[in-house]
Amino acid sequence: MSDRDVLIVGGGPAGLSAALSAAQGGLRVALVDEHTELGGQYFKRRHPAVVARHGDFRPAGTRLVTAVRQAGVDCLTGHLVWGVADDGATLLVAGPDGAPHALRARFTVLATGAHERVLPFPGWQLPGVVTAGLALHLATIDRVPVGRRVLLAGTGPFLLPVACALLEVGVRVVGVAEANHPYRLGRHAAASLRYPARLRELAGYLATLVRHRVPVWQDTYVLSASGPDRLRQVTLGGRHAGTVEADVLCVGHGFRPNVELARLLGCETRPDPVVGEPVPVADVVGRTSRPDVYVVGEAAGIAGVHAARARGQAAALDILARTGRAVPPARQRRVHARVRRLARFAALTEALFPPPLHLLDGIPDDTEVCRCEQVSAGEIRATAGLAHNGLNATKGFTRAGMGLCQGRECGTAVACLTRAANPHAPAEAFTARMPVRPVPVTALGVPPRHAAGADRGRPAGGGTPGGEVVR
Amino acid sequence: MSRHTADVVVIGAGILGAAAAHYLSRAGQRVVVFDRGAPNREGSGTTAGNLHIQAIHPSRPGQEVPADNGRFLPLQVAVSDMWESVELELEASVELRRHGGFMIAETPHEYAELRAKQAMEAAAGLPTELLDGDAARAALPLLSRTVVGATWCALDGYANPLKITPAYLASARRHGAQIHGYTPVTGIAATRSGWRVTAGGDTYDAPAVINVAGPWIAQVARLAGIRLRMTPVAIQMHVTPRMPETMRHLVQHIGEGMSVKQVTAGNVLIGGGWPALRLDLDGRSVASVRSAGGNLALAARVLPFLSGVRLLRVWAGPLAATPDELPVIGEVPGAPGFFVAGGTYAFTLAPLWGETLCRLVAGESPRVQVSDLGPDRLLIDTQSDELDLVANQERALEGAVRDSVQQGSTRRKEQA
Ligand SMILES: Cc1cc2nc3c(=O)[nH]c(=O)nc-3n(C[C@H](O)[C@H](O)[C@H](O)COP(=O)(O)OP(=O)(O)OC[C@H]3O[C@@H](n4cnc5c(N)ncnc54)[C@H](O)[C@@H]3O)c2cc1C
Repeated sequence: MSDRDVLIVGGGPAGLSAALSAAQGGLRVALVDEHTELGGQYFKRRHPAVVARHGDFRPAGTRLVTAVRQAGVDCLTGHLVWGVADDGATLLVAGPDGAPHALRARFTVLATGAHERVLPFPGWQLPGVVTAGLALHLATIDRVPVGRRVLLAGTGPFLLPVACALLEVGVRVVGVAEANHPYRLGRHAAASLRYPARLRELAGYLATLVRHRVPVWQDTYVLSASGPDRLRQVTLGGRHAGTVEADVLCVGHGFRPNVELARLLGCETRPDPVVGEPVPVADVVGRTSRPDVYVVGEAAGIAGVHAARARGQAAALDILARTGRAVPPARQRRVHARVRRLARFAALTEALFPPPLHLLDGIPDDTEVCRCEQVSAGEIRATAGLAHNGLNATKGFTRAGMGLCQGRECGTAVACLTRAANPHAPAEAFTARMPVRPVPVTALGVPPRHAAGADRGRPAGGGTPGGEVVR
Repeated sequence: MSRHTADVVVIGAGILGAAAAHYLSRAGQRVVVFDRGAPNREGSGTTAGNLHIQAIHPSRPGQEVPADNGRFLPLQVAVSDMWESVELELEASVELRRHGGFMIAETPHEYAELRAKQAMEAAAGLPTELLDGDAARAALPLLSRTVVGATWCALDGYANPLKITPAYLASARRHGAQIHGYTPVTGIAATRSGWRVTAGGDTYDAPAVINVAGPWIAQVARLAGIRLRMTPVAIQMHVTPRMPETMRHLVQHIGEGMSVKQVTAGNVLIGGGWPALRLDLDGRSVASVRSAGGNLALAARVLPFLSGVRLLRVWAGPLAATPDELPVIGEVPGAPGFFVAGGTYAFTLAPLWGETLCRLVAGESPRVQVSDLGPDRLLIDTQSDELDLVANQERALEGAVRDSVQQGSTRRKEQA
């Protein structure tokens, strides 16, 4: 056991907030992130050259990162947490050079964020089809337009700020195809009036789009994308069916929490009610079924940046209280109330923008679903259609989800196609396996090439990060 | 609850159950196959998929019972030919590769072992070649300078485990077999003319039952009141992302647990029977990071290009092993029509065991003599206190697997 109190995985808003509160409360904190800069997706840092020309992006993020560093948090950037050691608790880490590290603290806070979800459609593998997140990154962080005539499609409030960011860098946004119909006065809309700040934000985006005459087509979705060598045309279905010329299509169907580490640590999960994918069971402060493991931010369920910060803070305060630090109960109550309020708003958003899984029923058999291994919808349906196969058997037989992305990209689609083809198979998720991301074998203690061959006779298994804490 | 009849009930849809179902249904038998989960998800779906034709090495430090190479070789020779026609017979590609394999030595002692092994292979009529270190490196320049020798067998190979069992099942289905996934067998009772098997709430009466439940063989036998001594274990595999074709051959180690090959898709599979962290017969067995590190370090020592690759995935799989490390196949004495098959290297031996089971059920003699491999030697005398002993052993098993990992020293002499 190391002398660290808290180990936080993920340097986005949730991890940063947890780190700041915990360190300010007097705990020894380490924060690990695979990227070279802290900030995560939301508080992504601009390159200094871009800052010099265009100024800082989301200065709140810069302030948070600075505060975290000033609070004495040990920031291990460029470090990928890829697994859990045989003791079931120590986290295994690949350093920037692929070197093995093992980290352990009294408490672990998982703030591993989420991954963009894209549901496949014919042509989604064409050059010119990108995720909404990538387009946003290019526009806001690099100040580069992703294309000239751009169409956004999918579902979720996220598409709106992306469209606005594209407009800002001079992109001609031809439209936003929203698969659901959230933007109207209905039961949910009325309920959302209870969250004026969030509502004002959305209204602001919508106003910008109106000003630029960008149509928002509700109940409209992509049927297919086509073009000889790269994207030229998108065929839309639903209320605003038709074809749209575009050189770039940005798609996003919400986000998928990154739960691999929580699963590898043995935290209890429950199936997400809409998609059926496992999400960690956690209470308001992020406590999981394991007393020493917390999960906060998008990894605990998609709820946005404000909720992520509040959850990170709530977890830190809880740890402070558990380690005997004085935490004013009123402060804790305030944070908990904020977490709960924002969670209710997230539930509302979820209800307004469910991932349109039914669209998968309609994709033709020749649609490529797993891009890493090039597996089509038809292959998945045929394999899963044999009554004796379930999700993992289908994965095994077809290789869908076995490639470089380890099922992160296609997982939702493979699970849905399997379920549709074989409703009788018991519900399953892809088995959680190490490494959570491909790592150089040196991260497991294999000597790097120049050293190999010279060490005949060292004990087998020696130098592996199996248990000992390296740093 | 409804009642059905069949000629043969097969319990377990791993490669042995699938191969048996293929041979039996093709021979006109009415076959019903049950699996407690999806087919091919246990030993046969997690295996390394090596076709081990050259002898496995007889013994390694720490190995209590050495594998009896002499007993295995005739089986390996017999099955080698059968693999050649598998794809034709099943009308499916199983990514069969017969690109040959090296078994390398790194010490003079290991080299002497290779020499003895090669003599044994020659005596069994298996063509293998003994190479010194330079000759081995000339044949496979990827080998490190630590290699002092190797045996070469042109017949070693690989079949994709994710293809072969489904292909056997598909063939069986084409020949009328029924395959029921997610349908554990929960009862087996002797009747006047055979057996009554309960599964999924229904009963199936059949004169013959084949227990090919892999790691669960003992549990399934127990449903029929038969006590068998089995020693299931879990071992693990490691795989890299797809890479351009780098290595065409299988590379194994005579002295340590190691098998490396590149498969058709381009991924490099690294195994060697290193113990998993936990054998879990109720869920998924859990891989050990320590084993992963040890296995990969060994592989990179022998094949230095591996120190520059990435690890994509690690998984563990359960394996039916017998206390004497020999396969088990045959009818249970005193239980006519109740057959058992399993044990180590069942992947390699699957075509042979499928055909053998088919012939045994029909009362014909198999292509190779197997009478000494029957389950009689594994029967537990229910009158003696051996039963308690076994119960204790079963309890100790999980702990032992974990301990062996913690010591980081033992590598099963198991294949892979
Ligand atoms: C990691 C690893 C690497 C290996 N490498 C090699 C190799 O390279 N070469 C080689 O030759 N061998 C190898 N082996 C061994 C080989 O894979 C196995 O011997 C072989 O797959 C066993 O096949 P099986 O059909 O007997 O058992 P399994 O494939 O385990 O099938 C048994 C089936 O029985 C089912 N079952 C259990 N209980 C019940 C019940 N009550 N009712 C219904 N069904 C039930 C199970 O669900 C399972 O599907 C390896 C094994 C592992 C784990």
